[in-house]
Amino acid sequence: MSVLATDGRQLSTGDERRLVTDGPRVTPDDILQTAARLRREVGQGFHEQLMADMYADAAQLAGRAVTQPGEAQRFDLDRAIDRIVTSRLWGFPLMILLFTLVFWITIAGANIPSQWLSSLLIGVVYPWLNSAAAAIGVPGWLSGLLIDGVYLATAWVVSVMLPPMAIFFPLFTLLEDFGYLPRVAFNLDNAFRKSGAHGKQALSMMMGFGCNAAGVVATRVIDSPRERIIAMITNNFALCNGRWPTQILIATIFIGGLVPAWLAGFVSAAAVVSIAVLGVAFTFGVSWFLSRTMLRGEVSTFSLELPPYRPPRIRQTIVTSLIDRTIYVLWRAVVFAAPAGAVIWLIANVTIAGQPIAVYLVNFLNPFGLLLGLNGVILLAYVVAIPANEIVIPTVLMLTVLLTGASGIDSGAGVLVQTNSNATILSVLGAGGWTLLTGVNLMLFSLLHNPCSTTIYTIYKESGSKKWTAVAALLPLAMGLIVTFVVAQVWRLVGI
Amino acid sequence: MTPTTSDRQPPMIDASACAGCPMHNPGQLQRLGVDMTDWDYVIALAGNPNVGKSTVFNALTGLRQHTGNWPGKTVTRAEGGFVYDGARYKIVDLPGTYSLLSTSLDEQVARDFILFGRPDVTIVVVDATRLERNLNLALQVLAITDRAVICLNLVDEAERSGLLVDDRRLARDLGVPVVPTAARQNRGLDELLAAVNEVATGRFVGRPHRVQSQAAGVGRAVDELTAQLATAFPGLPNARWVALRLLDGDESIIRAVRSGELGELGHQEQIMLEVVR
Amino acid sequence: MDESTLSFLDRLRPLGGWLSRRQRARERRARIDREDALKYIHKTEAKGRRPTLEGVAGALGLTLDEAARLLGNMQTAGLLVDSDGTPRLTAIGRDSALHIIRAHRLWERYLAEETGFAEEDWHGRAEAREHELTPAELDTLAARLGYPTHDPHGDPIPPPDGALEPHGGTPLAGLTADQAGRIVHLEDEPAILYAQLVAEGLSPGQIVRNVTRTPERVHFWTNGDEHVLAPIVAANIFVTPLPGDEAATAVVGRPLTDLPLGESACVVALAAGLRGQERRRLLDLGLLPGTVVTPELRSPGGDPTAYLIRGATIALRAEQARQIRVTGEEGRRGVRERGKAFTPAPQHPFTPAPSSPSGVTNDADN
Repeated sequence: MSVLATDGRQLSTGDERRLVTDGPRVTPDDILQTAARLRREVGQGFHEQLMADMYADAAQLAGRAVTQPGEAQRFDLDRAIDRIVTSRLWGFPLMILLFTLVFWITIAGANIPSQWLSSLLIGVVYPWLNSAAAAIGVPGWLSGLLIDGVYLATAWVVSVMLPPMAIFFPLFTLLEDFGYLPRVAFNLDNAFRKSGAHGKQALSMMMGFGCNAAGVVATRVIDSPRERIIAMITNNFALCNGRWPTQILIATIFIGGLVPAWLAGFVSAAAVVSIAVLGVAFTFGVSWFLSRTMLRGEVSTFSLELPPYRPPRIRQTIVTSLIDRTIYVLWRAVVFAAPAGAVIWLIANVTIAGQPIAVYLVNFLNPFGLLLGLNGVILLAYVVAIPANEIVIPTVLMLTVLLTGASGIDSGAGVLVQTNSNATILSVLGAGGWTLLTGVNLMLFSLLHNPCSTTIYTIYKESGSKKWTAVAALLPLAMGLIVTFVVAQVWRLVGI
Repeated sequence: MTPTTSDRQPPMIDASACAGCPMHNPGQLQRLGVDMTDWDYVIALAGNPNVGKSTVFNALTGLRQHTGNWPGKTVTRAEGGFVYDGARYKIVDLPGTYSLLSTSLDEQVARDFILFGRPDVTIVVVDATRLERNLNLALQVLAITDRAVICLNLVDEAERSGLLVDDRRLARDLGVPVVPTAARQNRGLDELLAAVNEVATGRFVGRPHRVQSQAAGVGRAVDELTAQLATAFPGLPNARWVALRLLDGDESIIRAVRSGELGELGHQEQIMLEVVR
Repeated sequence: MDESTLSFLDRLRPLGGWLSRRQRARERRARIDREDALKYIHKTEAKGRRPTLEGVAGALGLTLDEAARLLGNMQTAGLLVDSDGTPRLTAIGRDSALHIIRAHRLWERYLAEETGFAEEDWHGRAEAREHELTPAELDTLAARLGYPTHDPHGDPIPPPDGALEPHGGTPLAGLTADQAGRIVHLEDEPAILYAQLVAEGLSPGQIVRNVTRTPERVHFWTNGDEHVLAPIVAANIFVTPLPGDEAATAVVGRPLTDLPLGESACVVALAAGLRGQERRRLLDLGLLPGTVVTPELRSPGGDPTAYLIRGATIALRAEQARQIRVTGEEGRRGVRERGKAFTPAPQHPFTPAPSSPSGVTNDADN
């Protein structure tokens, strides 16, 4: 610490003297000293004066260049649309209608290509690959690892993920290009503000219903640091595409089975929707919690521009959203699913003392799983399915068949299986000791667990922070463990 | 002085019918996509959010960058390339920002590229329907560099809402070429490329309009600092702007002054001028 | 033996590890006491009062014995000299005190500009942090913040080698009923009184009018709001009197939230409560004194409202819009005159446009 207090003014006079004697030489330090002194002289309002000067000139120049020869427009279409889509009466119904439509088109439209892809990739290509491998004499363990493991897992992910995403993302992008989405953020901001979040989180959340990784990328439009991290961490509570099939299947088998057949469809659909709504509730609750605890010190700002409406260019939109979102997300999923397929095949087929590794793992996890109202198979499936939620159900079925020797599944044990018959699945799961509690808790756990590795990686890339990535991965998992544990204990206490 | 390029432009209404067709290939444009080896000139693409910057970028490079109707879509910078008039251009799409004076990450990325990336030309895409708001950014870019072209985009929307923008008057006032375009319809891109080419090759030298501060004390302080900067870094093209940034306590500019990186900018500029002459 | 081996051995002996930890904590505590005492003595001297042993003990929460031992140690260390029973700072002591004050105010500024912590948390956090920062770290921090000259309470931040300038204000109660003043400083100690000032929405830069006082209460007006404070709270507000003409032309305006949909008004000022990134964002969006704003749409939930600002529709929340003051019908004249400051100076190359087209300039009254 220097002992003498020196005044900036004295220093710079000294420099000026040196300037005169040494000729025109000014060092960077001189300049910085002068700047420091002048900065104190011009005072605090400098930045604002600068902005004011800029805008004054801009206004002057614009005023000279722009003329409006005709009368001002009589009818402002943008405003007219805005009045309707943000009105108290029509704002929310229109929004619900539009998004229901988008989801309905996605679900209805994806069904057929999904089945078609799966019968092609698994029904046709898979046996062909097997026979081709046998014909050229590939050793059994290698063809098992590559075809039963890597190929089958990848094929599963592609056939489940590709069709809905190829429909959902372009539809969403069309709404985005039209300019409707900022209005959604405008309408919903009030609710998000109360939980310490940004209205634009509505959109990353909506995108999360398609794919959480894409939802995390979509948080880029949130320009406030605190709210963006909140949106990233809570995106996982939006039930993604890869988890819908699990929810629908389990709801149909376990909850639909409780009521008469004519009610079954409605009740199981209601069960799935309530899980999705629960996810939204968790989004708000966790946002509220984070903004008041861990994220209290992060900067928070708000501004939301409502851009003019523009007619979307349909062809280009479809192409760009396919490239930007669908293919991008699919590629990442495949990259992560392929090794997972290999791991699943290995644990099911490599034996120690006559037993597959999977059996040891399941037996090890089983007591813990039962405590949560789940079982060892489910926990193991979630461990190996970290890369992609789509393969949870096939893995669960495969492991159950492997452990119980239940019949009715056409493929051999130790291979990811698929079947379209719910009765078969029920009998397999029944043999595995599943109850209604297992089904309900599986639905809860499917909502509340760590994001898939694609999403975790995306959060890391987008946030650039190991800390927030860890929170995003572990917080939902901890919540899932707590919720399933509490449900299981209460369930058993009440004795349903 | 009068920018010749913009005076030569045909009025937008006369744009030929095939200009709106996506297959139309203006002039000698050859799109290169991401192939950007051995470029001759580097172009920066700046602009407010949601003014069709990415559309201009895609039209020039043939790339399909997503262009959502969402303010602040391009967060990282995208790069592409094209060939025009025998020269290879690399074009960098900067994040859309309202200003270059604040410290948000987007603005810093954009500002640093225009200042330290030394692009041969900076295209500022402005929205013809909201000229005043957009000129704010254009003026900030012109304070940094005189090698700029204003792309007056969305003139079709302006026409629809009954606004006429006098691009020649604007060009005269700003001292750099102003080219009216409607990038979604591929209108005006040929003229834009011609103007970019003129500035890149040095056939056109801009005399940009620079904002003078209104407050008396500020003016004096800026003058004093500008004089010192001009002595220390002769040939610095934007001493006045650097002085303003120093007074505003801009960390990266202070660092550039201290490290002497700023001096290199001036040096480069002098060499460029000599080559041009 | 290197340090890591030592600490390893240290950990092997639980008692020894505990002892040395205790020792370190005690040394830290002593340093903090020393620095707090320096700060207190410096502040007291700056107010023109005489620092006393009792004062030090009270400010630091020490017994008289402890305070006496502390001051004795500080004299031995060359930080203080004794002049007729009054502790006085030496040159080194003054520098140390200034360093701590600089650290405190810079850190408060940092919390205000670059974090989301609430206003009432700043002082406490800075109190803890001021003892941790080295001069080099302070230089880095100052550079990052753009070399601020004042902390968020209006106090000047001492330059690295410079002396401390006073904030130059006088207590609020010094104003007469017909005099207007500008708040230049809010004393942030004790925290409980400061929290009241924050709760009242007071901040440096605001204009205070119509100050009246009784022995029990101090009444005054800022920005059209009436405040009633206990004298002990009001004593922590410092103002500079405004010259008569400035006080007359200063437009108070009304909050933007009061403007009905579809009606236009001119921005008068952005309150000091909008700070850091948030304030810069609003400036970037073109919200400056003189800008015309028109509320256009209200969200169905009632909160964000979309405003037409220089051609763009931008939604702001009520908590922000409340801090943007715009002209009322009666106040417009004042701003039109102030707006002149933003039209170009005579040496400007332009002549005014012959006719000003509507809808493009920031001229509200067309």
